[in-house]
Amino acid sequence: MTAVRLKKVVKKYGDVGAVHGIDLELQDGKFTVLVGPSGCGKTTTLRMIAGLETVTDGHIFIGDLDVTDLEPKDRDVSMVFQNYALYPHLTVAENIAFPLMARGAKRADIQGRIDEVAAALEITPLLGRKPKELSGGQQQRVAIGRAIIRQPKVFLFDEPLSNLDAKLRVEMRTELLRLQRQLGTTAVYVTHDQEEAMTLSDVMVVMRDGVICQQGRPVDVYEQPVDTFVASFVGSPRMNLIKGVIDHGAFTFAGGVGIEITTSHFGETTLGVRPEDVILSVGGDEGFAGVVEIIELLGPRAIVTLKARGTSLTAVVEASGLSGITEGAGVRVRFRESKLHLFGVDGRRL
Amino acid sequence: MTTLVVPRARRTKSFNPWGHAGSLLLVVAGLVVLLPFLWVLLGSFKTGSQLNDPTLIVFRPNLANWRDVISSGILQAAGRSALVGVITVSISIVVGSMGAYSISRYKTGGSATRFGILAAQVLPPAVLVFPFLDMAFRLRLNDTLAAVVIAHLSFVMPVVTWFLIGFFDAAPKEIEEQAMVDGLSRFAAFRKVVLPQVAPGMGASAIFGFVLSWNDLFYALILAPGNAATLPVRIAGFNTFRGVELGSMCAAILVSIVPVLIASFFIQRRLVRGISGGAVKF
Amino acid sequence: MSFRARMMAPLLALFVGAVGYPLLYAFYLSLTSYRITHRWDTHLVGLSQYNDVLHNSDYWSALKVTGTFVFLAVTLELCIGLMIALALQRQKRVRDFTRSFLLTPMFVTPIAVGLMFRFLLNQQLGALPAVLGHLGITYDFFGSGNALYSIILIDTWQWTPFMVLLLLAGLEGLPKQPFEAARVDGASAFYTFRRVTVPMLAPVLVVAILIRSLDAMKVFEYVYAITRGGPGIETQTIQYFTYQTGIQFFRLGNASAMSYLLLAIVLTIVVFLFRRIERSRRS
Repeated sequence: MTAVRLKKVVKKYGDVGAVHGIDLELQDGKFTVLVGPSGCGKTTTLRMIAGLETVTDGHIFIGDLDVTDLEPKDRDVSMVFQNYALYPHLTVAENIAFPLMARGAKRADIQGRIDEVAAALEITPLLGRKPKELSGGQQQRVAIGRAIIRQPKVFLFDEPLSNLDAKLRVEMRTELLRLQRQLGTTAVYVTHDQEEAMTLSDVMVVMRDGVICQQGRPVDVYEQPVDTFVASFVGSPRMNLIKGVIDHGAFTFAGGVGIEITTSHFGETTLGVRPEDVILSVGGDEGFAGVVEIIELLGPRAIVTLKARGTSLTAVVEASGLSGITEGAGVRVRFRESKLHLFGVDGRRL
Repeated sequence: MTTLVVPRARRTKSFNPWGHAGSLLLVVAGLVVLLPFLWVLLGSFKTGSQLNDPTLIVFRPNLANWRDVISSGILQAAGRSALVGVITVSISIVVGSMGAYSISRYKTGGSATRFGILAAQVLPPAVLVFPFLDMAFRLRLNDTLAAVVIAHLSFVMPVVTWFLIGFFDAAPKEIEEQAMVDGLSRFAAFRKVVLPQVAPGMGASAIFGFVLSWNDLFYALILAPGNAATLPVRIAGFNTFRGVELGSMCAAILVSIVPVLIASFFIQRRLVRGISGGAVKF
Repeated sequence: MSFRARMMAPLLALFVGAVGYPLLYAFYLSLTSYRITHRWDTHLVGLSQYNDVLHNSDYWSALKVTGTFVFLAVTLELCIGLMIALALQRQKRVRDFTRSFLLTPMFVTPIAVGLMFRFLLNQQLGALPAVLGHLGITYDFFGSGNALYSIILIDTWQWTPFMVLLLLAGLEGLPKQPFEAARVDGASAFYTFRRVTVPMLAPVLVVAILIRSLDAMKVFEYVYAITRGGPGIETQTIQYFTYQTGIQFFRLGNASAMSYLLLAIVLTIVVFLFRRIERSRRS
């Protein structure tokens, strides 16, 4: 069943286009993440699904219902905002209860439900407090509580974890996922953090400048990026993109020795290779020569930045394999053959 | 099941009764504000007999009232009001900005000063006017503008200072600290770096203070009722039941209103920003 | 002297000279038998002036008139002002101009406003009674029983814009996101207004009410221009009564006592106002 469908949805502010006709089908019960750099239209799209922004052209369906012209309150969605948007003058319990009370429920009747939700989010002791007395993480839980109390058709998340510190962010990510799986509700999540997108999504939608570049399972987007933008956006550290020429089965760049490539294409090409597929060795004459510039140790791994033939490359090396690799040292560089990506002059995958 | 999708050119919004009621309210409010002014405007051009018919709208305008009013010395009274206003505001701004800076940056006097300034703004004039009157008698300043200026200072200076404290609070400290590190003395930093920043706010406060002084009747009536009458006092003098004088009164009212209307146009935007931004923090 | 003291000194001096000293002097006057006509014959009479005032039925009547005036005028101004502020907030296009225009009444000289309405509402010469007359309604705006309400309406005409100014500033300072959350959570416009807008606006409302009330207590010009306290003593507000006692009846000592009692009331309110402002300034 398709839970949410966008058909040729366009959003313009005056003459300025923010979203240029996107088609999206979200599967029921799945966690879909809209990801992209700022200004790509992901938040606008989310807000259109919520009904907080009007749709310039196109249709939005939730279930079988055309909700394009409906007010947010008639769409049966709930939303968690980046800044939590808690009602500052209400207690935690009243905040959570608000969606039900606004529709006419009596506090006494729903007290049980409030307690249930509070227990699920482990915020029961906070029920009598006001938002300003809570930490960021606690406020976030309250916002989530307010979203789930109604059991809506769709959860919408607008970068809810951006305001939390790094560690808390990772913890909350897992919590969110667990909650969503438990409740089985369709979720749409917006973020600019590709790592968050990778870990949370069942379906990842990469957006840029108001259009969808690629959508699919995270693993597919990661391994088969459809163009150089998606390739460099997804994955950290960034994929190495090297401009060069393919001629007679070899890719050459910066006027040096070619790398063997099996492809029927020839001409100007961009070669993409992820840092973890860049293999460094000391001594010998494998591959081509490079000089190590900077080593950043991350615990179990290290990010090595090196220069080869005037081109900067990044490699990820296991900490155990760092012997001989020091800043300023000469190394031999080769790429893992099965993990090469080729992109044409227009940036698209070949 | 497929839903028929018909491309739409324009999106129709659901009928929002509140929006329309709001616009209607604003129109009504606008009319309520406008009509008295219009009535007075019309009245100023009417002759005595025309004035007996309050709903007369179309007629040949007559300038007799305006001539009477202008020759009655109302412009001199306006001039005196302006003089008092300018002097009061100038003193208030100079003294007030220095004091406000001290209070904002150094918390001089703590809560007590802020309280004092607030309290001074709202003191009932009835309290201070009698001492002023007695002092004026003793110093032989009764019925002079000097007495009025001092009385006006008692409420204009606190208001101006109050606003300025808010504006200084809103100006970032780092900039003058940078200036001092760069070699300016504290007073020079105040003059050359901080004042330019709050200049718009100072302008708005000055105009606001001027309007307060311009509009005062109570102090001026008691302290300078005769030869040194300011504009509101002169206008009060047009108070009469006789229809013949009504026209001149209308003209007099307009003379006092017009400068203030112009001033208010300029400052109202600043005031809103000032109030929501820094002047009176809620 | 330190820098901050030097900056503060002129203000302090002016304060003491124009406010502090007169304030103390007024207290001294209230303890004397000062009459303008017998200035040389002044002597201290202790608290007898206060006693006099508190036993003066006219004084209590003036307090009652002023109290009624303040309560009704401020309530009207608050309600109408809030509606206008909300309507203005929704306006997108001509907002600045509309706002400029609607704010003008508060800047006009109150005495001019008083005179303007004196004749606008005058039975024989005024436009409004004439229009009402055509509709078959006879209403004497300044007659017995009506005069106070007419004065209240005039005050509302002049000062609702001030309320609008404060409330608009307050509304624009509210965070937008809780309102979006309310839209998604399913609250109707009225529910949002009642349960979200008004509670969040509460601090602003309190300050607006306090400031306007303090101002309204000083009402004088409309009374001076139109009713001179009448009919009878129906519109004799406290400021007008004090003026009359001091300037028309020359009893300055008595008048000072009267105004000092008013000061006590005013200061109580100011303390409330101050605490409010300080509390939100610190947070």
